[in-house]
Amino acid sequence: MNRRYRISPEGRQPEPTDAEIARYRDPKRLVYNYHKATRALHRKPLYKDPKAFIALLIIVLITWLITEVASDRHVSPASQDQLHEQVD
Amino acid sequence: MERAEEELHIARAKRDPNAFAPLYELHFAAIFRFIHRRAGDRELSADLTQQTFLKAMLALPRYEPKGYPFKAFLFRVALNELKMHWRKRKEVVIDMSYAEVRGLTEEMGLPEGDDGLRKLEVALGRLDEDRARLIELRYMDGMSFAELGQVLGIAEDAAKMRTHRVLATLRTYLSPRA
Repeated sequence: MNRRYRISPEGRQPEPTDAEIARYRDPKRLVYNYHKATRALHRKPLYKDPKAFIALLIIVLITWLITEVASDRHVSPASQDQLHEQVD
Repeated sequence: MERAEEELHIARAKRDPNAFAPLYELHFAAIFRFIHRRAGDRELSADLTQQTFLKAMLALPRYEPKGYPFKAFLFRVALNELKMHWRKRKEVVIDMSYAEVRGLTEEMGLPEGDDGLRKLEVALGRLDEDRARLIELRYMDGMSFAELGQVLGIAEDAAKMRTHRVLATLRTYLSPRA
């Protein structure tokens, strides 16, 4: 980043007065933003919350069970032929 | 507000963020003006001022006064916010008035008139960020060496010495051979 200076008789736009600056003051917004920032900083990750951890574990187990059952039921065409040969 | 009273407010604000309000009210205008001198735009200055106070609040648990006024800490946070805001820009233009550079032109022994000021603009633009910051704090903000040291976190003598070194660099940039 380059810095460039511009020197003129009046400089920048006139400095705001105390009353104009006071209009920009908003302590409520500051406290709100502070709480928002600290909440985000201290938010517990899902896996560290016992309830959320158990819920996640159940979902993973159910998904695993479903895939296992589905793979057992699904018999490939090659293995089906072998079964027929054995029956004959 | 006296130093002891200010430290009491700081101690309270460390425990309860709502107690930060008196410090915010007291320093808001000074920080706004400090940022406005660099940013030049009111809306942007208001946003950066709000951001400065938010960062100061978040850093408050780690803040130790070390004998410096709280305002010096806020100026430091504000400078950091400006740096963050400008980091993606290729160029930053800082406007200065004749009155703000009068002390500097006298120190440099520059002749009055546009020619000398144009040379000064170029010479200032050649300074690196740290050196330029020192000149801005001293001449644009009109800080004493003690205040300068407080903002930069160095002793008053060190601030004085650094300023004189930067002025010497500026003189070499302004010399006809440069």
